[in-house]
Amino acid sequence: MIKKVTMFASLALVLGLHSALGGDITGKVTLKGAPPAEVNLPFDALCKRTVKPGVTPTTRFYAADASGGLADVFVYLKKAPATPTPSEAAVLDQVSCEYSPYVVGAQVGQTILVKNSDPVLHNVHPTPKVSGNKEHNKAQLPKGPALSFSWDNPELFLRFKCDVHPWMFAYVGLVEHSYFAVTKEDGTFTIKNIPAGDYEIEAVHRKTHPNGKGIVSKVTVGADGGQADFVVDISK
Amino acid sequence: MLQELFNLPANLPVVASEHGADVDNFIIYIHWLMAALFIGWSSYYIYVLWRFNGKKNKKADYHGARTHVSSYLEVAVAIVEVVLLTAFAIPMWAKVVEEVPKPEESTQIRVMAQQFAWNFMHPGADDKFGKQAFDLVSEENKFGRDLEDENGKDDIFTLNEIHLPVDKKVVFHTSSLDVIHSFKVIAMRICQDTIPGMSIPVWCEPLKVGRYQINCAQLCGNGHTAMTGGFLNVDSQEDYDAWLAQNTPADGEEGAGALSFE
Amino acid sequence: MDSTEAKEHHGAEHDAGHGHDHHDPGFMRKYIFSTDHKIIGIQYGLTSLLFMLAGFFLIAVMRWSIAFPGEPLPVIGSLLNTFMAGMTSPVLDPETNELIGYAISNDLYNSFGAMHGTIMVFLAVVPLAFAAFGNYVVPLQIGAIDMAFPRLNMASYHLFLLGGLVMLGSFFIPGGPAQAGWTSYSPLATSIPTDGQLYWLIAMVIIITSSLLGAVNFIATIIQLRAPGMTWMRLPFFCWAQFVTAFLLLLAFPPLEVGALLQLMDRVAGTSFYLPTGLAISSMQDVSGGGSPLLYQHLFWFLGHPEVYVLILPAMGVVSEIIANNTRKPIWGYKSLVYSTLVLGFLSFIVWAHHMYLTGMGTKISTFFQTTTMIISIPSVIILTCLFISLWGGSIRFNTPMLFALAFLPMFGIGGLTGLPLGFNYSDIHLHDTYYVIGHFHYVVAPGTIFALIAGIYFWYPKLTGRYMSEFWGKVHFWCSFVFMNLTFQPMFAQGMAGMERRMADGGAGYSVANNPDAIGALADQFLKLNVNITFAAYALGLSQIPFIINLFYSISKGRSVESDNPWQSTTLEWQTPTPPPHGNFTTPPKVFAGPYEYSVPGAAQDYNPQNQKS
Repeated sequence: MIKKVTMFASLALVLGLHSALGGDITGKVTLKGAPPAEVNLPFDALCKRTVKPGVTPTTRFYAADASGGLADVFVYLKKAPATPTPSEAAVLDQVSCEYSPYVVGAQVGQTILVKNSDPVLHNVHPTPKVSGNKEHNKAQLPKGPALSFSWDNPELFLRFKCDVHPWMFAYVGLVEHSYFAVTKEDGTFTIKNIPAGDYEIEAVHRKTHPNGKGIVSKVTVGADGGQADFVVDISK
Repeated sequence: MLQELFNLPANLPVVASEHGADVDNFIIYIHWLMAALFIGWSSYYIYVLWRFNGKKNKKADYHGARTHVSSYLEVAVAIVEVVLLTAFAIPMWAKVVEEVPKPEESTQIRVMAQQFAWNFMHPGADDKFGKQAFDLVSEENKFGRDLEDENGKDDIFTLNEIHLPVDKKVVFHTSSLDVIHSFKVIAMRICQDTIPGMSIPVWCEPLKVGRYQINCAQLCGNGHTAMTGGFLNVDSQEDYDAWLAQNTPADGEEGAGALSFE
Repeated sequence: MDSTEAKEHHGAEHDAGHGHDHHDPGFMRKYIFSTDHKIIGIQYGLTSLLFMLAGFFLIAVMRWSIAFPGEPLPVIGSLLNTFMAGMTSPVLDPETNELIGYAISNDLYNSFGAMHGTIMVFLAVVPLAFAAFGNYVVPLQIGAIDMAFPRLNMASYHLFLLGGLVMLGSFFIPGGPAQAGWTSYSPLATSIPTDGQLYWLIAMVIIITSSLLGAVNFIATIIQLRAPGMTWMRLPFFCWAQFVTAFLLLLAFPPLEVGALLQLMDRVAGTSFYLPTGLAISSMQDVSGGGSPLLYQHLFWFLGHPEVYVLILPAMGVVSEIIANNTRKPIWGYKSLVYSTLVLGFLSFIVWAHHMYLTGMGTKISTFFQTTTMIISIPSVIILTCLFISLWGGSIRFNTPMLFALAFLPMFGIGGLTGLPLGFNYSDIHLHDTYYVIGHFHYVVAPGTIFALIAGIYFWYPKLTGRYMSEFWGKVHFWCSFVFMNLTFQPMFAQGMAGMERRMADGGAGYSVANNPDAIGALADQFLKLNVNITFAAYALGLSQIPFIINLFYSISKGRSVESDNPWQSTTLEWQTPTPPPHGNFTTPPKVFAGPYEYSVPGAAQDYNPQNQKS
């Protein structure tokens, strides 16, 4: 076991050195057009106690800031060199009766850890649609310990839901390597340590691209990295 | 059992519906019958164990009891049961299932249970539901609505909370999206299994304003214990009208609860 | 048991009885692949007692969750976590974040709930009541040398064992065993993503097949192999009870076998027998629909209700034998007992839908089922009344088997009486699926059937081993069991009346006033607190069985030896054999001259006239 870990570590080190020849892809995803109004979430009495009085939680379909920067967009390389399975887990927490974050990325085989920070029972119900990815359905006691999952086939997006609270969803972008990122609140993203070369890069927004087919563009990564910007156009 | 019997009226929960008291009384009558039989049998039993203890009564009697009291007793039990059956249980049940109030004289609500919450559909100001079909039911379209139907444009959709006017009969048309649940409102003394693919009415007449807990009375999965978010809000007529006005969707808009959270 | 040691027990009479061509068949042939009804009876008995212990263990764990939801399970928490990884829920100290134990997750609770019901009904009580006692006692009581089909009998036990092992195997698969209750209602059972349900269905098909083989064998044996002179009205009531039970199993189990196979097809072959149009379940995307969830319920309860009488009739049989023997007088109204049992058996097939009053039943159907339900209470009342009146005029011996048999009467009485408000659909509206129901059927089965079966074990033990079980520890066992049984199940009626639902991993805390302070109809604290009392009473009940278990095994070699082959001075044929009965049972083929309960016949020299003796 220890041997295996050190092997992975040295492998990662080698890859790290190798990728130093390339660089990071940075960019921003912008929303064009006015998104529809978000829907208020019908929190029940128990969940209401978990949010500050006066706050009305809503859906998070289009999380755009004043500049149009669109959060929760999954950006990844369509074809990329293999990477080892990351040892740290991708984390989904359940806070105030919502999944946080709303969109998360993970490599196939990587552990996805689901926490429950709420004083209420949730049931963690990932519902993969790609064949070979197994469905699970587990109840998680209030403040209960984390549950871990992993899947072996890429899927965009693998949906997590909570059946106790029908408004609770999270989406996992599951791809074969670790060259991915989820846009931050201002719409920017960084995919780190990509070996130099030409790539196809895709940005997928869950609500706009429900079938997982997003906007594809080309990017060249050189010694100083690369740049890729996207516009999600919903004005039509 | 005796202890329960004497505490019975205190143990039974609050009643807030027109027929609820009938259910309670019926339960109490049956318990009196049970108590009579149990006390009768027990007294006989204890007496016999004392009197025919082998240490006292060395020689058993080959013939034993020679009376036919027991036959009369059995006939008496049968008669009481027949009375309970024909005078109470059958006609009362007939009222529950055969005399479902017509839409003109009642509030109509559709209930769609799901793991682990209650979806409600209210016909809106026009008192008419839009068309629905089970083969249209999906995770997004929980009630299987025909979205084109004009009658459905003002339908109100809510999750877990539903409002009703007091002193007016209400019919719940219950169904389920996934597994069998059971729509039980203890204070109203109604309970109906919600079965996917079927729409089954259950009704009552709420008599008291209040916020009533809805129970799921059938094991429905690992979140069964957390399916506690459902409430029946019985409002005064003004409060109800206000709720209706506030929640009726504007023209061309969908009712809030009709939207998907995905 | 070691084979040489066992030979000492069985060897001597064995050779005397069957001098011709006899050789020791060896351990395997004698104890594992035996075709002797007595060995098979003992096999069934020990296996089903082990299953009963397993079933009790499951409820002990569940009761912890009901009384203390989310709190770490003491003593066996980490053990459970080792065997069922991923099903328990580790509990961390809120301050230090250290692991302080393992709590029961809802998934685990539901699994244990489903398996507690399944194991107790199908793997513990039925095999003990019907197969174990039936196999050992029936051929002896009717004066037969063995069952009609000894090899079928062996196959029946081995299938039962296989089914049981498949069922137990499902505890150790990822995702754990079935979680949809012992009733396994579709679509819930089909939609839960664990293979446990698959194991459950396959195990049920195997167990049912085993029961069918057993049922056929009993019917053939009782019809064909009665000794000369053993007319139907000279048959001990226990045999009548087993005879009717065998018919119930034969006729009621096949619908459930079919029901299970159809659900299996829904699961593995993509059919939708029980899956309706209009399902929106993420795990079942390509369901064609058109099926009916109610169909499964009908098939299940078509077995489910006769099954109740499968549980109860053999128990009544055992109790009648013990009461007749220990009152030293004939059973009062033997013929009424027999006819009532036949009527009960017949009627039990047309009451099943009273389990389904709240599935949207119209007046006509519900009237039919309410009426039949009330009619079936009449023969039950007659049977109980006959047993009560049998006590009149007796010279009652209060030994351990008799204490258990006597306790059966009022306890089963409570179980039966509390069935009344559930049998009327109008009162069922309030009581359906509450703890009232749990209290009701546990009174029927636990202090009812299981007390009767324990009585049977104490009663026939001297015939099996040639030794008595300890009377003192038997009485300790009885009084502790009696007290804690009532402390366990009595409060459930109050909880049910208050509207506390069954099958709640948190014991109804989710509906408590604390959780929903502004709601009307929330569960009052006093009823939630009863959960703790019940849990400790249940643990005490479990501990009360320890004297029994020790007594059972200790007395095999160390118990007080019997003075004769007929230590209870009984009339029926099983006591007119050597002790223990050899292969082939009787030293001379018995002939029957009298009824089964000729005790204290006026003018007779002794107070019992065995059936095979001319008076």
